[in-house]
Amino acid sequence: MKTHLLVIGGGAAGMAAAVSAANKGFDVLVVERDRELGGILNQCIHNGFGLKEFKEELTGPEYADRFMNQLNEHKIPYLLSTTVLDIVRKDHFTIKCSSVEKGLFEIEANAVILSTGCYERTRGAILLPGERPKGIMTAGSAQRYLNKDGYLVGRNVFILGSGDIGLIMARRMTLEGANVLGVAEIMPFSNGLTRNVVQCLHDFNIPLYLSHTVTDIRGKERLEGITIQEVNEKFQVIPNTEKSFEVDTLLLSVGLIPDVTLFDSLTLEIDPITKSVVVDQNYETNIPGLFACGNSLHVHDLVDEVSNESKKAGEAAVRYLMHDHKNKHTLIIEKNENVRYVVPQTIAYNQLEVEHIELSFRVTKKISSAIINVMQDGEIIQTKKARYLVPAEMLRIAIPKDKITGISSLVLAVKEV
Amino acid sequence: MYDFIIIGAGIIGTNIARELSKYPFKTLVLEKENDVANHQTVANSAIVHAGHDPIEGSLKAILCVKGNALYEELEHELSIPLLRTGAFVLAHNDEEEQMLRDLKVRADHNGVPTSTILDGHTARKLEPNMSDSVTQVLSLPTTKVTYPWEVAFACLENAMKNGVEFRKNQEVTNIKWVKDRFVVETNFKETIETKHVISASGIFSDQIAHMLEKDVPYTIKPRRGEYYVLDRRVKGYLERVLYPLPTSKGKGVLLVPQVHGNILVGPTSVDQLDKVRTTTTPDGMKQIKEDAARLAKNIPFDKTIRTFAGIRAGSTYKDFFIQESKEFKGFYHVAGIDSPGLTAAPAIARYLVDEVIQPNVEKKENFDPFREEKIFFYTLSEDEQKKKIKENPLYGNIVCKCEKITEVEIMEAIHSPLGSDTIKGIKKRARAGSGLCQGGYCENTVLKIIARETGQSLDQINYYGKDTPILLKETKVK
Repeated sequence: MKTHLLVIGGGAAGMAAAVSAANKGFDVLVVERDRELGGILNQCIHNGFGLKEFKEELTGPEYADRFMNQLNEHKIPYLLSTTVLDIVRKDHFTIKCSSVEKGLFEIEANAVILSTGCYERTRGAILLPGERPKGIMTAGSAQRYLNKDGYLVGRNVFILGSGDIGLIMARRMTLEGANVLGVAEIMPFSNGLTRNVVQCLHDFNIPLYLSHTVTDIRGKERLEGITIQEVNEKFQVIPNTEKSFEVDTLLLSVGLIPDVTLFDSLTLEIDPITKSVVVDQNYETNIPGLFACGNSLHVHDLVDEVSNESKKAGEAAVRYLMHDHKNKHTLIIEKNENVRYVVPQTIAYNQLEVEHIELSFRVTKKISSAIINVMQDGEIIQTKKARYLVPAEMLRIAIPKDKITGISSLVLAVKEV
Repeated sequence: MYDFIIIGAGIIGTNIARELSKYPFKTLVLEKENDVANHQTVANSAIVHAGHDPIEGSLKAILCVKGNALYEELEHELSIPLLRTGAFVLAHNDEEEQMLRDLKVRADHNGVPTSTILDGHTARKLEPNMSDSVTQVLSLPTTKVTYPWEVAFACLENAMKNGVEFRKNQEVTNIKWVKDRFVVETNFKETIETKHVISASGIFSDQIAHMLEKDVPYTIKPRRGEYYVLDRRVKGYLERVLYPLPTSKGKGVLLVPQVHGNILVGPTSVDQLDKVRTTTTPDGMKQIKEDAARLAKNIPFDKTIRTFAGIRAGSTYKDFFIQESKEFKGFYHVAGIDSPGLTAAPAIARYLVDEVIQPNVEKKENFDPFREEKIFFYTLSEDEQKKKIKENPLYGNIVCKCEKITEVEIMEAIHSPLGSDTIKGIKKRARAGSGLCQGGYCENTVLKIIARETGQSLDQINYYGKDTPILLKETKVK
């Protein structure tokens, strides 16, 4: 099979990227592992999606449905139940795939967008101590069992981590009759959106234990109980702060990690903080024609932002196919100590084709009032005031392209005022 | 009436079952768990040791070296995975170099083939991530790594092919000697008669022995060991097993490349009274990191996908205790089998049968030593994969994306002679859920395939034991 642009992953990011690249004279093809398009949106049956993208409040499946319709309107072909095994690059890209229908087969593509989403951090990755009974599960897995398959995974539930899925599941399981005894968060602040803390915990009287973590897990076959303890600012456990809960289920909402395992056989620069690839303002990696967007690039708060970013990636891929940029020159975006990460990490200054370059970033700590500056050669080229900055909420600043004049690094600095 | 009942289907019991199946005996294996290989056999370092470490002349030394050689035979006959890694034992200074020389003398005495001492520089060329402070190593080329529970499956499957019977979920609750035979009672209130009993019951050996004997000659001393499992994407970091110098507490924290590309780091060694609590602890995790730092640099702990603990069934006897009961002829102890038990297992089985039991009948002429070749689809060449998919298109469905496990492999794990209908059972057999996401992507699909293939509803599917369903309650009435 051959296509100009191959989009790997048919969730929120992949669908938006494909739609934005359609009808530009190039063949676009989407491959999706699942039996349907939509990705994780299909299990997010709560509302709160689409306020930016569609100016109305939708559920996850409704939001996905809108994009599926757009895909169909543009007659963009897609392959379902198809797993991509590997990406090989020579002059173009060869993508090795597998499906029941087609067996092992290859797709030749001139450009590739990776939009494979993220996976959930597991117990092993966070070294949770204790025994290993059944009843410990990631929040997203529990969400899928509940919302797509119609089964509750627990009756008495505790949740470790205050990521958005954990918060949503606290409410969701309560509504289905489970008894959610609490949520523990190792950081002194919630990792989820404020609206979710209010609507999912406060409204249901579910306690949130900040600066707490799980220090023991008990049970031989099925989980019988857990102990949580307070931690100090160095995340060390404070003795004699034990609280025990008799629960049959512990849900983990302890972080999402971009799934870029398909890039294993390629040599790509990795950002140690986002744990994904380094990209420029076109969402292009250091391999020309290879793009990444959505949660496989960095984990977003809102799907609307995923769509927005992925459309830009789709448009950039079309520009790549039109011009076939080979010699890219990039500058680096540095950050000060208050900035946890910034995407894009680089700017291709000889490919400044969009009017505004939008930087997405997160802060390292709670800041009540700040000035955000973007500087080049010591001069401020963009500035913005902001209040109530928290690490859980992604921030943005747009730089007009003609403000970028030199080839020296940009500096993104968040200053407390 | 049976000739032999073997209690326990771990690596020891299954090897004994296979050895006995070479004779015209009526043999039954009883396992109290829901699956073969569920205690020590599923939670250990997976190393087929060279035999450099056990005390000269001990059964551990003799059977370790023999067992190591026998793994080559098992590989040929039973299609078990065997990775010929070799190993280095590391020394950091003059004192340790002297200990290394002593160890080399012991290795030679034990009959370990082709061990050599290399200087640190030479060794680092072969193993570039080895710690810079290492001055000398003892190279042990015969050290290998296997996939322990697959060995147990293979042995028992082959034993069953040759006539051995197997029952799981059968806990032995009592053993009596009545007139001229043993009467074994199980949790199913069943009584089974047999001429001989072999206890290969690991951590519970002393409890089983107490059902018969007044004076059990040993007590089991459970010792817990914790481990890190690093993702297979660390492949290439390490070729060989790296050992520190052994101490009185054991072999210490090791770095062990695994057959499917992972690396194990561990174990700790903590005595405890509880026989089943396999707890991981912050202290243990910290200690492993500290100890492992002496072996290698830049260990990719950020690629940790899992931690676990196993219990080793050491005993007060120190050496392997493989003897006929002095009180009850026909009752055989195979106890105190801690490290190097995995390595020695095939040799233990032969020693027990040939030297301790000494059957007075001839071996069967029609014993079939071979098991059908077991393949992992992802290891095949592209042409072979395409051929397989042509035969069965479901090979095209990659269920476990991290480890590239296909739907057919999961169906085989369900329907094979020793098949399983639990999530953990499928993980042990087909490796679905063993990777980076630890089942986050595929557990849901595996659950549905099990339900489909076994005709059960989704909430009947257990994680492992009979009361461990993944799904507790259906929320909507359809």
